[in-house]
Amino acid sequence: MMIEKSSYWKEEFARRLEGNGPWDDWTLYKMAYEVEKDQLITDFSGLQAPKFLTNIKFLDHQIEAARTVIEKMNGKAILADEVGLGKTIEAGLILKEYILRGLVKKALILVPASLLTQWVDELNGKFFIPAIGCKKKNVPFEHYDFVVMSMDMAKRSPYREKIYGQDYDMIIIDEAHKLKNHKTQSYQFVQGLKKKFCLLLTATPIQNNIFEIFYLVSLLKPGHLGNVESFQTYFNNGKNGLKEDDYLKELVNQVMIRNRRQDTGIEWVGRHVQTIPIRFTKEEQEVYQMIQRLKERTTVFNNSFALTTVLKEMCSSKEAAYLTLEKMKEKARSQAEIDYIEEIIGKLANLEVNSKAEKAYEIIRKAKEKVIIFTEYRATQLYLQWYLYQKGIKSVLFNGKFSKNKRDWMRRLFQDVADVLIATESGGEGINLQFCHHVINFDLPWNPMKIEQRIGRVHRFGQESDVYIYNLAVQDTIEDRIIDLLGNKIDVFEKVVGELDDILTNKMEERIYRSPSFVSNFHFEDFGLEDQLGFT
Amino acid sequence: MLAEQIHGFLKTFFKVTNCEITEEGPHYLTVQLTADIDKRIMNRPFYWQFIESTKAEPNPLKVTFITKKSEEQEIRGEYIHYGSMRMHQIFQATKELGSFVRMYQNEEGASLFPWIGANFKVSYHADQTKEMLFSLGINLIHGSVKSNFQDILNELDLTNEMPKNAYCLPYIVSPIRAIERLETAVENYIANDDMTWAEEARKRWKREQEILDHFYLGVEEKPEIYETEKKALEERFRPRIKMEIVSGGLFYLK
Repeated sequence: MMIEKSSYWKEEFARRLEGNGPWDDWTLYKMAYEVEKDQLITDFSGLQAPKFLTNIKFLDHQIEAARTVIEKMNGKAILADEVGLGKTIEAGLILKEYILRGLVKKALILVPASLLTQWVDELNGKFFIPAIGCKKKNVPFEHYDFVVMSMDMAKRSPYREKIYGQDYDMIIIDEAHKLKNHKTQSYQFVQGLKKKFCLLLTATPIQNNIFEIFYLVSLLKPGHLGNVESFQTYFNNGKNGLKEDDYLKELVNQVMIRNRRQDTGIEWVGRHVQTIPIRFTKEEQEVYQMIQRLKERTTVFNNSFALTTVLKEMCSSKEAAYLTLEKMKEKARSQAEIDYIEEIIGKLANLEVNSKAEKAYEIIRKAKEKVIIFTEYRATQLYLQWYLYQKGIKSVLFNGKFSKNKRDWMRRLFQDVADVLIATESGGEGINLQFCHHVINFDLPWNPMKIEQRIGRVHRFGQESDVYIYNLAVQDTIEDRIIDLLGNKIDVFEKVVGELDDILTNKMEERIYRSPSFVSNFHFEDFGLEDQLGFT
Repeated sequence: MLAEQIHGFLKTFFKVTNCEITEEGPHYLTVQLTADIDKRIMNRPFYWQFIESTKAEPNPLKVTFITKKSEEQEIRGEYIHYGSMRMHQIFQATKELGSFVRMYQNEEGASLFPWIGANFKVSYHADQTKEMLFSLGINLIHGSVKSNFQDILNELDLTNEMPKNAYCLPYIVSPIRAIERLETAVENYIANDDMTWAEEARKRWKREQEILDHFYLGVEEKPEIYETEKKALEERFRPRIKMEIVSGGLFYLK
């Protein structure tokens, strides 16, 4: 094999011999030799990085994950640990190891915008990797070796082209489940990147169906699961067909690491999940049924997706449903359609009780501790804040769009002042709220992994008490179907990826709480606690 | 290196590079850096660019390095440890400032023989790495080669000035020729070394290439992505051997 020789030393030495110096200090010479010897990578296997990172207390499964990726997976892997087990730490450790071994000189880290600062801080502060965050137009990121950028920015011109022009040795993608759809711009952008070493981080490699794992693996290693046709043939009996699941599981495990809480050897606190059935009041039920009949009354709802949306919203709050109905009304063509929608809106306005909100209030009262409420809808979020305020409960809002400062601030307010944090979905990623032990899922998303992500905010490493999860679902509505479907999807996930902690349970609480309420109008105003307290 | 070793290392480093240690405790050092060391380890190229272009009076930093964190001490400064960026820069500076020497065995009136000592770093790369360090010495009179040369040197009393009345024999083998001989010796070592690692890497490469080809099975015109992936596989798995001299010098020994 050819040996690549560097002649630098020889030439410089010849120059110094001829010029009679200058000569270096003997003590420094000996020190330099010792440093060289000390930092030598004497073995193909094993990790060098931990001895440089004595500031981090690595957990066994994190070290093991890094070793497996480097020694068995040859540096390309999906890191799919459950939420809260430290995927970022594993990724940082692997990157550091490759840097020390001289195999990675340039790396690109693609993350959701909301996590950018956190990544930059961790790489610099914990791993001593001089990474820069690129979130403004004029950052000359081409001149830096370690770049953290948001996926949304990276996939757009001119960044996309500039990135393609760089020669990155390693690509790390956080929250990689966002790449499940191969038709999106993000997917195609990542597909076109040269991926020498590559890590995809996601707690939820399958969210809805088996093809998501196919596309994710194919991004990492095209051909590992065959091509589209052969894969489809295997799974041709419908979307969730799982005949070949053991074989598939084995293939997937060749490129994926998934640690579960109970595999980590750490004592995890318990997780108590209850699905709490809610019964609509007669009035709520009436409006719900009217919405169901929209399909027959107007063409605007031919699209069953739109109808499903309003039904789901109705199960959350009348405020949420109202906004969509208003939009529908604008699209309505005949006066009869408009009249019918207006009739619904009228009934909606007169609703005085939100049965779910009452249940949530009851849970909060019983908990006597801090509670997080997750909802999919911004309108519901605002309504709940208003509703709880009437009951004398202080709450703060949390959204994904908040800047890092505002997030930290809200988190502090929640910890110090408020009783309840009301978060929308996108606000869930990347915040740690271990001081809280109660989570109410006010409405349920279609996707079980979203619930897992929500729960993961609280049930993570560092949590000291048991956590309580309450899934609220209105009986005899679309939410029954969501619960069924969630169960199915969890099934697919478990067959291919492995078991999940409890997300849903069948334990139904028998007693249904009901009490009159005096909510008579819609409530959309932002009841920000920060304003009440005079902070802006 | 432990905190204590780091402390010792830094102390020696600053002493040898003429940076005055103005204050010292068991776990910290305050140092007045020289301009040269400031440039090498403080990472502020813009400042130095500015000074050089305006010809202003340079003002090298005075820094306190804390080598071990403790609760009670109230010293303010930069915490420095084995993995930190600053330590990395200091290691780098040490290597840059300690790679070419000319030394004499410290013995008055002795006849001293010329030697070339060279420390070779050899690295095997594929998707994994292994490195080796060879310290070799060659006598410039009769060409005999010694291994573990640095260990031998460490035992001797050496000085950078020719001792009084010492006689340095002129070399017969030219230093450059001698270095080439040492290179050949290292190459011979590599040629006889176990190359299973390279075969294994090639096997992994082949397997991954087959997987990739399978993905595009039956595709007549392979897209650009195929070529990109193929190139990435080559860069990741192609076995390579690198060899360099990290330090060395001319030694006059008894």
